Amino acid sequence: MGVDDVPLDDKAKRMRDLLSSFYSPDPSMSSPDTTSSSSKRTTLDDINSSSFDPDQYMNLLVQKSNLERLLQRHVEMAAEIKNLDTDLQMLVYENYNKFISATDTIKRMNSNIVGMESNMEQLLEKIMSVQSRSDGVNTSLFEKREHVEKLHRTRNLLRKVQFIYDLPARLGKCIKSEAYADAVRFYTGAMPIFKAYGDSSFQDCKRASEEAMAIIIKNLEGKLFSDSESIQTRAEAAVLLKKLDFPMESLKARLLDKLAQSLADLQLNTEEISNASVDPKDLSQEESNPGSAPAATHEASVREFAEAIRAYRIIFPDSESQLIKLSQGVVTKNVTGSCFFRHFEAIEEYVKKRICSTELLHVLRIIWTDVLLMDEVLDEAALPNYSLEAAKVAVKQYVASTFSRLLHDISDSLTRVHVKQKEGMREYSLQTALEASKKAVLQGSMDVLLDFRQIIEDNLELLVQLKPLIIDLVQEGFQDFFGALDDHFLLLSGGNNSVSQDQGFVEGTQVDKAFAGLVLVLAQLSVFIEQTAIPKITEEIAASFSGGGARGYEHGPAFVPGEICRIFRSAGEKFLHLYVNMRTQRISLLLKKRFTTPNWVKHKEPREVHMFVDLFLQELEATGCEVKQILPEGLRRHRRNDSNGSTNSSRSNPLREEKLSRSSTQRARSQLLETHLAKLFKQKIEIFTKVEYTQESVVTTVVKLCLKSLQEFVRLQTFNRSGFQQIQLDIQFLRTPVKEIVEDQAVIDFLLDEVIVNASERCLDPIPLEPPILDRLIQAKLAKTRDQNPVTP
Amino acid sequence: MQGTSSGIGYGLKYQARCISDVKADTDHTSFLTGTLSLKEENEVHLIRLSSGGNELICEGLFSHPNEIWDLASCPFDQRIFSTVYSTGEAYGAAIWQIPELYGELNSPQLERITSLDAHVGKIKCVLWWPSGRNDKLISIDEETLFLWSLDCSKKVAQVQSQESAGMLHNLSGGAWDPHDMNAVAAISESATQFWDLRTMKKTNSIERAHIRNIDYNPKKKHILVTAEDESGIHIWDLRKPKVPIQELPGHAHWTWAVKCNPEQDRLILSAGTDSTVNLWLASPSTSDEFTAESLLDSPTRRIDPLLSSYSDYEDSVYGIAWSSREPWIFASLSYDGRVVVETVKPLLSKK
Repeated sequence: MGVDDVPLDDKAKRMRDLLSSFYSPDPSMSSPDTTSSSSKRTTLDDINSSSFDPDQYMNLLVQKSNLERLLQRHVEMAAEIKNLDTDLQMLVYENYNKFISATDTIKRMNSNIVGMESNMEQLLEKIMSVQSRSDGVNTSLFEKREHVEKLHRTRNLLRKVQFIYDLPARLGKCIKSEAYADAVRFYTGAMPIFKAYGDSSFQDCKRASEEAMAIIIKNLEGKLFSDSESIQTRAEAAVLLKKLDFPMESLKARLLDKLAQSLADLQLNTEEISNASVDPKDLSQEESNPGSAPAATHEASVREFAEAIRAYRIIFPDSESQLIKLSQGVVTKNVTGSCFFRHFEAIEEYVKKRICSTELLHVLRIIWTDVLLMDEVLDEAALPNYSLEAAKVAVKQYVASTFSRLLHDISDSLTRVHVKQKEGMREYSLQTALEASKKAVLQGSMDVLLDFRQIIEDNLELLVQLKPLIIDLVQEGFQDFFGALDDHFLLLSGGNNSVSQDQGFVEGTQVDKAFAGLVLVLAQLSVFIEQTAIPKITEEIAASFSGGGARGYEHGPAFVPGEICRIFRSAGEKFLHLYVNMRTQRISLLLKKRFTTPNWVKHKEPREVHMFVDLFLQELEATGCEVKQILPEGLRRHRRNDSNGSTNSSRSNPLREEKLSRSSTQRARSQLLETHLAKLFKQKIEIFTKVEYTQESVVTTVVKLCLKSLQEFVRLQTFNRSGFQQIQLDIQFLRTPVKEIVEDQAVIDFLLDEVIVNASERCLDPIPLEPPILDRLIQAKLAKTRDQNPVTP
Repeated sequence: MQGTSSGIGYGLKYQARCISDVKADTDHTSFLTGTLSLKEENEVHLIRLSSGGNELICEGLFSHPNEIWDLASCPFDQRIFSTVYSTGEAYGAAIWQIPELYGELNSPQLERITSLDAHVGKIKCVLWWPSGRNDKLISIDEETLFLWSLDCSKKVAQVQSQESAGMLHNLSGGAWDPHDMNAVAAISESATQFWDLRTMKKTNSIERAHIRNIDYNPKKKHILVTAEDESGIHIWDLRKPKVPIQELPGHAHWTWAVKCNPEQDRLILSAGTDSTVNLWLASPSTSDEFTAESLLDSPTRRIDPLLSSYSDYEDSVYGIAWSSREPWIFASLSYDGRVVVETVKPLLSKK
C-alpha cells in the first residue's frame, strides 16, 4: 500500500486526511493543515464544516467579491472539485482492492480447515492407544517394585540389627580408645531398640552393651571425680553422664561429700596450724612469724579446695539452675559454712588457751584469706557475712575469755598468797599479796587494753568491720569484769569454801574460815581499783576505745567508771568493816570464854594479871601487823571531840542535862546518878566513829569495839570483891599497851573506865584493890613478860 | 534519821534491862519494866501512855525483891507477869500478880502467884504463848527447857515436862511460835534449836552461832528473825534453815534484841549496845518465792532497809517492845533506866 510513499508525499498526505475524515465521524478532528486555510474564515466560509450552508456561502461570496474574483473562485473551485473527484476514485479503488484480497484469504482458509478434523481424530486415537499401553506396562511392573522396596527396608533393619549386635564390641573399642562421647552417642542411638526389644530378642546384646556402658559410666565417674583430669574433661564427663540419665543428684551429693571430706582434711590442717603456731612460741620465742610454713600449706590446701568448688560449679553449670542453686545454696553453704564454723570453733578452742592478740590476729587473718578465696568461688554462700558473724562470736569469746583470765589471774595472785599464808610465811605475804594483786589488776588491765588495741588497729577488713563491736565489747567487758571482780571479792571474803554462793555473800557463816588478812587486802585493793586503776583504764579507753555505738544511744556508754568506782568504794568500806568485824569477833570469843567460864561470885583473890590479857594483846598485835602491811599510816591525832562523820555518840551533854533534871525529879538520887553526873563532866566521847583507811583508825576501831564488848560482858556478870578486883587489875594492866597502839587515847581511857565502873556496879562488894598492890601485880606481870621475851624490851 | 522529837521519856531509878508490852490491857497502851540493881531495892514499873499520847504515866510502882533479868507480861491477863531474877548468887523465876490498886499508888506489894523453882542453872527467860490464853508456860535455863502448867486461880505451877538441851549448848533465850502452840525456839551458843513441846524433842535447828535474840514473825508463819553479836540481823524461813532469806546490817556493836512488829510483817525493830534503836523495813521478798526474788532484785537490795535510827540514848539499849494495842508505838529501855516511847507513824505514812 505504501509503495509511493515519498514521491506522493503531498498526495499521500491528502489521502490520509481524507481517509481519516472518512473514518472519523468528527470533522473537527481533521488535521489542522486542511483547516488552516479556512480557519481564518468565518464558519460560513468553511466548506468542510458540517454546518456549511452553500446558499449563504454563495450569497456571502457574491456580495463580497467582484466578478473577477468570482471567476477566479469559480476556477479554483472547479479545480478543487476535480481533485476531489480523482481522490475519491482512488479511495474507492483501493478499498475495493483490499476487499478482494480479503475475500481471497477467506476462500483459502475455508479450504484449509476442511482437513483438520480428520487429523484431530487420528491424533486422539493415537493418544488413546499410547495410554493403554503405558497402563499395561505399569501394572506389569508394580509387583516387582514393591518387592524391591520391601527388600530395601529389610536391608535397613538388618543393618540396624547388625549395629546393635556390634554395639558391645564397638563400645568396647570406644572404651579402649576412650571415645566416650561416641560410645554414648551409639548407646543412646540404640536405646530405643533396647527399650522395645531389650527383653526378648536382644537380651544378650543389651546385657553386654549395658555392661560396657556400666564400664563407661564408671570410667566417666572416675573422670569426674579424679582431680587430676582437667576441668574441661570432667565437665564433659558430667555432660555425658547426664545424657545417660545418670542420677545427677547422687553424683552431686557424692561430689559434695568429697568436698566435705576435703574440708575435714582442711580442718585437720588448721588444727596443725594452731598447734604449730603455738609451739614455736612456747619453745623458742619465735615471735616473728609463728608457724609460717604450716600457714602456707594451709593456704595451699584452701586454694585446692576452692579449686574443687570451682570445678564443681563448672561441672554442674546452671542448666538446672534452680536445683543446683538450691543445692549450692543449701548444701555448699552448709558444707562450707560448717567448715568455717569449724574453723571458728577451732579458734574458740584456741582462744581458751592462753593466746595474745597477735596470735588471734594471725589466725583471723588466715581465716579471712580463706574466706576471700572461697568467696571468689562461691559468692552465693555469703561467706564473708557468715564469717563476719562467726568472727564476731570469736572476738566476743576472746574478749570474754581475756577478762575471765584476768579475773583468774587476780584471784590467783590473791589466793596464792592466802595459801602461802597458811604455810606460815606471815611476814611479807600480805604486802606481797597486795602488791601482786595491784599489779595484776593494773598491769593486767593495761595488757588487755593493749591487746585489744592491737586488734582494733589492725586493718584486716574483717576486723575493721567489727571495730565498733569490739569497742563496745571491750567497754562492756570492763564493766562486767569489774562487776565480776567485785562479786569475786565478795566470794573470797565470804570464805573460799562458801557453800551458799547463790544467796549472795553470807559473810557471817564463813567468817571464821575466810582469812582476815585477805579481807583487809581486798579492802585496800578495792580502794586501789577505785582510786588508781579505774581512772587509768578510763583514760586508756577514752584514748583508743571511744566511739563504738553499735549499742545505740539510749543505753549510754557501756563502760561507766563512775558506777564502778561507786561499787568499789562501797566494797572497800564493806571489806574494811568486815575485817574489823572479823578481828573483833575473834577477840569477842576470847572475851566470852573469859567471862562465861569462871564463877565470878566465888572468885578468888587476884594474884596476877589474867592470861586473857596476853591473848587479847596478841590478837591486837596480829591485827596491827596485818594492818601495817596493808594500810597507810595515818596522822596520829589525839582526838578528843574532833571526830568527823560520827554516827553514834555515847554522851551528849545538853540533852543529858535536861533528861537528868527530869529523871531527878522522879526520885531520889542514887549511886547511878552520881556516876552519871561524874561522866557528865567528862567530855563527850564518841565510840563508834567511821573507820578510815589508816592503820591507826582500824586498830583503834577494833580496840574500841573489843572494849565495848568487854564492858557488855562485864555487865552480864555478878562479881564478888575478888572478881571485881581481878577485872580492875586486868584493865589496869591493859591500859598502857592498848593506849600505845591506838589513835584516840581519850576514848580508850573512857572505855576502860567504863569497864571498871560497870564491874563495880555489878559487884556485891566493890572494894577496889589498893594502888600499891595493883602496881606490884602489874610490875610482876611485866617482869614475867620480859623474862619470856628477853629480846623485846 | 534521828528520831529525837517524838520520843517520850520516862526515867527508872536504876539500871534496867527488860521491858514488856502489856498485851492484855486493851484499854491503854501500857508497858511493864523492871530494874536491875544488885544492891538497891528493885522496882517494877507499870507505865501507861497518856490518852493524849504525849506523856508516860506511872500507873503502878511495885517493889521486887531481886534484880530483874527478864520480865514478861501475861498475854491474857494484864495483872499477871513473870520475872526472872537474880539474888546475886542464884537465879529464880516467879509469876506475879499486880494487886488491885483502887486508885492508891502506895500498895507496893506484888502478889507472888508461884515460883518456878525447879531450875538448877541460870534461868534465862520465861515465855508465855503470845497468841492467847494458854495454861502453859515455858522457862529456859542454861541447860534445860521446862514446860509448866499454870493454874493462876490455884496459884500453882507444875512442871509438865522438861528436857535437857545438853550441857554444852548453853541456852541463852528463846521464843514461842505464835502460830503453833507446840513449837518453841531456843537459842544456844552454837545453834537455834526448835522443840516440839508434845514430845519434847528437837525438830529442827538453824546452825548459827552467836545468836543473841530471836523473834517469830507474828504475821507470817515460818518466818523468824535473829539478832547476832557482830553480824547483824538475819531473817529466816524455817523451811529453809540453811541460809537466811535476808540480812540486815544490824548495829555498830552488838545487836542485842530484835522484835517484829505485831501488824506490819516487814517492820523490824532492833536494839543494840551501840546505844541506838534501829527500825528496819525488810524487803518484801519474805514470801514463799523469796529465793528467786532475792537473787534477782538487786535494786531492792540497794534500797536502804534502815528506815530510821533512834540514837538518843545514853547507854546500851537492851529492851524493846512493840505495843500490840497501837502497833506503831514501841518502847525502848536503855541500861541507864530510861524508857523512851516512840511512834513510827510518820515513817510509815511516808511509805
